[in-house]
Amino acid sequence: MASGVAMTAPQFDDAEQQRSSSNLGIWIFLATEVLFFGVLFAAYSITRVRFPDAFAAASRATSVTLAGINTAVLLTSSLTMALGVHAARQGARRALVGWLWLTVALGAAFLVIKAFEYRLDYVEHLIPTINFDHSRPQADQVELFFYMYFCITGVHALHVLIGIGCIAVIAAMAARGAFSPSYFTPVDVTGLYWHLVDIIWLFVFPMLYLVSRS
Amino acid sequence: MTDHIGESPRTYVMVWLTLLVLLLVTVASAYVPLGWANTPLNLVITVTQATLVMFFSMHLRSAHPLLKVIAAIGFFGIAILIVLSLLDVLTR
Repeated sequence: MASGVAMTAPQFDDAEQQRSSSNLGIWIFLATEVLFFGVLFAAYSITRVRFPDAFAAASRATSVTLAGINTAVLLTSSLTMALGVHAARQGARRALVGWLWLTVALGAAFLVIKAFEYRLDYVEHLIPTINFDHSRPQADQVELFFYMYFCITGVHALHVLIGIGCIAVIAAMAARGAFSPSYFTPVDVTGLYWHLVDIIWLFVFPMLYLVSRS
Repeated sequence: MTDHIGESPRTYVMVWLTLLVLLLVTVASAYVPLGWANTPLNLVITVTQATLVMFFSMHLRSAHPLLKVIAAIGFFGIAILIVLSLLDVLTR
């Protein structure tokens, strides 16, 4: 790969058209991601409407402190990613590499905090099929909430993990000088994916952790 | 087609601070007994946060209208899914 040279594939008129196509492609992919999580959110909404009291009790058993910190961590990682894309546009290689690794570190911190949260759920006997405590009131409905809790947060954590992998690869490419102000589409596209993972968490947080706290 | 220039680092930092303030507001509001209004309030704040991320961090503000439409399609699809499903459940 020639350093800093925009490579245009034969099907495109110019680099700008190629960049636009990549952008269009990732946005279509992001729309499918939104639909993917949307199905889980729909299942959650229907179940919550049917069992409002059980969902309120179940939500109060989750750790709002750890999840709140995690939200802040993810929002901050979104900022470092945005600054990374900005650095790429400016052609600031060292800054780009630095911001990308910082984003990877924040993403990893999110997963570590998540793991502590899961451990807390285990200690409190909240994990369906593994050690769920059926002696609590409305146990079956509360268990249903926790099925969704682990499904939604688990799939989201998988997205974070994939994002971390992509950003690490992009960071290694950036360190080798693969990007320039005229070609940084992989940085741009990875950033868009990362921001979407952030947005999905913004919806997950109040849904699972803030039901009936007052 | 798209000609996004991106935002300045200052804008990104301002958006980040706004998002953190909104996070504090939504957590704090959850502990205030507002009855049925708690959940819609959380939802409105979340949608505001998501809109900020999409318009500034994801450069939708300066994006081609086609991208804006595609970005909206996913959310529109979910809105239909959830609203129509709830209409069924709530009117049985």
